[in-house]
Amino acid sequence: MPAFKQHPMVPQTTHDEQARQDFVAALRGHLSGRLMPGTYQVYAARVEPAFRAKHGRAPKDEQEVRQAMTQDPYYQFWSAAQRRSQELLWESVIDPTERQLPALIDRARKLSKRAVGAKAPRGGKNARGRRGTLRLDPALTVPKYHTAADIHLQPGGYHTDFTADDVAAGAVYDKGINLYMGGALGEENNLMGDTLLAYVREKHSSLKPRAILDVGCAIGNSTVVWARAFPTARVQGIDVGAPVLRYAHARAQALGVAVDFSQQNAEQTDFADASFDLVVSHIMLHETSKSALTRVLTECRRLLKPGGLMLHLEIPRGRTDIEKFMHNWESYNNNETFSRYMTDIDLKAEAIKAGFSPEAVLVDEFAPKLDVAQMNYAEHFFWKILAAFKR
Amino acid sequence: MSAAQEPPRGAKGHRPQIFDDPAVDQLYAAYVTLATELSVAFERIDTLERLLETESGLSREAIRNYQPDESVSAERQRQRAELAERLLRPFREFREQRIARANHLSDTSPSD
Repeated sequence: MPAFKQHPMVPQTTHDEQARQDFVAALRGHLSGRLMPGTYQVYAARVEPAFRAKHGRAPKDEQEVRQAMTQDPYYQFWSAAQRRSQELLWESVIDPTERQLPALIDRARKLSKRAVGAKAPRGGKNARGRRGTLRLDPALTVPKYHTAADIHLQPGGYHTDFTADDVAAGAVYDKGINLYMGGALGEENNLMGDTLLAYVREKHSSLKPRAILDVGCAIGNSTVVWARAFPTARVQGIDVGAPVLRYAHARAQALGVAVDFSQQNAEQTDFADASFDLVVSHIMLHETSKSALTRVLTECRRLLKPGGLMLHLEIPRGRTDIEKFMHNWESYNNNETFSRYMTDIDLKAEAIKAGFSPEAVLVDEFAPKLDVAQMNYAEHFFWKILAAFKR
Repeated sequence: MSAAQEPPRGAKGHRPQIFDDPAVDQLYAAYVTLATELSVAFERIDTLERLLETESGLSREAIRNYQPDESVSAERQRQRAELAERLLRPFREFREQRIARANHLSDTSPSD
């Protein structure tokens, strides 16, 4: 497992803060590696047979699996520990972030002025020698699917400013998601970007995008992957959250990568029609809403040039009812409010509804040759990719 | 935003009840926290022992006979209060949520 890269925007930890983060990572590793698979065993050995004995048939859908499983003591113990580990994960990162927040904000301001790539070791400067920019929109209305509940239990979510020029949400998210996957996201939390990039290399190897948009980019961890992979392209990232974007900008600058970030809602952006060759998102769609999903896909289509490609990386929602139930843990217990509705959404039909030609849309499954060390809810993992060309 | 606010430690949104008795949820949350803090303490002790061994001639006897002075006592009191805060935060939030519900200041409902 590569160590998390201590770039200048990552808060330093004291002895005890580090020990706390290390324990949370170890606990989550234990939960996913040792305890989570047991929930499937308990279902097969106890819960499903007990349901059959009582009803004379197997559970008919995910809801019936839910009713039975949530009564099982083993599941309850795993679930309670999973929930608490998520809360402790954020606490363990918030402490060092708050302690150093004024210094982090100051560092972000200074990094913003730096000419990216001038001294970057490799690949930092893109061919035209641009530097990254940040454009915030204080008038933007943050959508209800962000404000109603804090997604993943991160206090304040992606969008809340608690002080002027706040970057805390970004710093907390960066280290937090790394702990969430026990380090499996890579030293720059690059796993999702690498995965979608590997898909492009494998399935669309002739693609040479000159303009790339990452929608719902948060801290730009995947955006940076695209900017490095296509150094002559102009790469932009949008998100609704101001503090994560300030952090994303400072982080990209610190890593020596030129990205243009702007605070915009992917449902309706201010980009001109046909602005991009490639529009991507990384496990973002399930954090929107049913109506927003249609609007996001419609907007992505508008932004694509003719022949342009849209790619959305998503988490699979499970094939069997017990798998669906386990994946939906996040929805019921971790404020991924919308994700459970994704279980029954036909992404291909959604893309067609957004205007894409049926023959230009594909929902693919992709198991890249990357080491995914920790599976939180399923024993067998693959990524789901919604791919669509604009005619 | 100009004036800084104290950032919250708990997340906004629905808090699931996992066990039949909500008290078990609270005990379980505290138990996981306690395990975390125990791990932190073990690691601190381990660090101390390793440093003592390599960088000083300090004896275990001296550790056993150590008496904290006033400032050390105050520092430890602060640390204990912090531990209590960490440990019992879920209980406090649970109470706050119940009171809020009773006052019809309902928690958020997941919807579009």
